[in-house]
Amino acid sequence: MRFNWGFFVREALKGLRLNLIMSVTAVTTTAVCILILGAGLLVSAHVQGIIRQVGEGVEITAFFPKNASPERIDQARRAVEGFPEVEEVAYVSREEALRRLRTNFAEQPEVVEGLGSNFLPASLEIKLKDPSYAEGVAVKLEGAGFREEDLNYPQQTINELNRITGYIVWALRAATALFLVASVLLISNAIRLSIFARRKEIEVMKLVGASDGFVRWPFVIEGLVQGLIGATLAALVVLWVNALFVEWAQNAVPLLGVSSAAVSTLSVFLILVVVGVAIGVFGSFMSVRRFLKV
Amino acid sequence: MIHFSNVSKVYGKNIVALDHVDLGIESGEFVFLVGASGSGKSTMVRLILKELEPSAGGITVNGVRLSAIPRRGIPRHRRSIGCVFQDFKLLPNKTAAENVAYAMEVTGQRPRTIRTKVPQILDLVGLRDQMEKFPDQLSGGEQQRVSIARAFVSQPPILIADEPTGNLDPDTSVGIMQLLHRINRIGTTVLVATHDREMVDVMRKRVVALENGRIVRDKARGVYADEV
Repeated sequence: MRFNWGFFVREALKGLRLNLIMSVTAVTTTAVCILILGAGLLVSAHVQGIIRQVGEGVEITAFFPKNASPERIDQARRAVEGFPEVEEVAYVSREEALRRLRTNFAEQPEVVEGLGSNFLPASLEIKLKDPSYAEGVAVKLEGAGFREEDLNYPQQTINELNRITGYIVWALRAATALFLVASVLLISNAIRLSIFARRKEIEVMKLVGASDGFVRWPFVIEGLVQGLIGATLAALVVLWVNALFVEWAQNAVPLLGVSSAAVSTLSVFLILVVVGVAIGVFGSFMSVRRFLKV
Repeated sequence: MIHFSNVSKVYGKNIVALDHVDLGIESGEFVFLVGASGSGKSTMVRLILKELEPSAGGITVNGVRLSAIPRRGIPRHRRSIGCVFQDFKLLPNKTAAENVAYAMEVTGQRPRTIRTKVPQILDLVGLRDQMEKFPDQLSGGEQQRVSIARAFVSQPPILIADEPTGNLDPDTSVGIMQLLHRINRIGTTVLVATHDREMVDVMRKRVVALENGRIVRDKARGVYADEV
C-alpha cells in the first residue's frame, strides 16, 4: 500500500479542527501536567544547586609542623594535588597566615602586636570536589604524614549536610515520578474521551476496508500535535517563571545561593517537550487500539 | 461467488441466529435475502464481511475461504465487497465527495485517479450537484446514494446492502433499488437483505427467505411471500 503521509497529516489537522473542544481539552490537560512536571524539575534543580553551593564551602585545612622543611612542604603539597577527590589546593605560608590574622583584627591591632611570623604554622587549604569525600581525604592525609590533630574540617556539618541532601533529592525524585504517572493517566484519559466520541467514525473506516494503520496514523499525529502544543506552552511558562524566581531570590535572599546556573534552560525545555509529545503519541496509540477491533 | 456450507451461528450459549445454512450465490446474480427482524439476515451479512466468525460450517467469498484469512487480511477482504447499510454509515465530518474519496484512499489509489473518479461516480448516482455537502445537509435518500457511490467506487465484484431502504420512504426506495439494479447489470453480484415487501415483489429477482435462522424458501424470480 502507498504510505500517504500527506493524507495522514491533512486528516489529523482536520480532526484537530473539527474536534476543537476535545483538542483544546487534551492540549490543556497536557499543558497542566507538563507545568507540574516542570515545577518539580525546577524545585529539584534549585534545591540541588543550593546544596552544591553550601558544599562548595567545605575545606580541609592541614597544618604543617612548625619545623617542617620547605622540601617537606613542597612534597606534601604535590601529593595532595594528586588526590582525585581534590578540587583545588592552596598553600598558606606562615607569613600569609599572619597577614590574614592581622587583617581580621585590624580593629584591635593590640591583639596581634608583637607576634612574629613563626607564631602561626603554614598550612594547605584543600577544596574538595564533594563534601562527602572529607573523611576519606583525611585518612589519606594522615597517610601522607600529617597528624590527626593537625587536620581541621567540619565533620559534623558535612555529615549532616550529606544526610539531608540525600533525603531531599530522593523525595523530589519520588514526587516528580508520581506527577509523571498522574500526568500520563490524565492525558491518556483526555485522549481516550476524544477518541471514544469518534468510535463510530473508526468503525465506519474499518467497514470500508481501512487497515488498522490507516485508521490509526491520523489519530497518532493528532496526539503528537496536541502533546507538542501543550508541552511547548507549558515549558515556556515554566522557564519564564524560573527566570522570575531566580531574579527575585537573588534580590530578596541573596545568601540562599539561588543561581540561574542550577537550571539548564535547554535541557529542561527539551525534557518537557519530549515527555509531552511522547505522552500524546503513546496515549492516542493505545486509545485507538481499543476501538480498532471491529 | 458467495457460498455458505452448513453454517451455524450461535450468540452466547443458546441464541441461534443461523441454523445449518447452505446457500450458493453465483457471479452476476441479484439476490434478495428476506425475512422478519431477527431471522438471521444481518448475521449472514456480517459473516460475509468477516465481522463475525461462524460457530460451525464454512464460508467462501470470491473463491477464498474466510477462515483462512488472517486478521491483517481483513481490510483487503472488505475492499472486495462494497457495503451499503440501513443507517448509511457515512463519516459525518466529510463531505459527500470526501466520503467517497476515503474508500479510495484506503486502497492507496493515486490522488489524480481519485479526483477524476469521485465526480464520475457521484454523477452516476445523481448527486453531482451535492458533492460538497456534508451528510447532515443531505436527505436520507441522498445519503444512501452517497453510501452506494462509496461502496461501488472501487468496482468491487460484490455489493451487499443491509436494509438499504429501511429508513427511506417508498418513492426514494424505488430510486435506490434502480441504482442497485444498474450496478448489477454491469456484472456486479448484488445481495440485498431486506424486509421491504413491495420492493422485492416489484423487482422479481431471486428471493432467499430466512425464518428463525433457516432458509425456508429459495426461488428464482420470486416474491416476498408465496401466494397463498
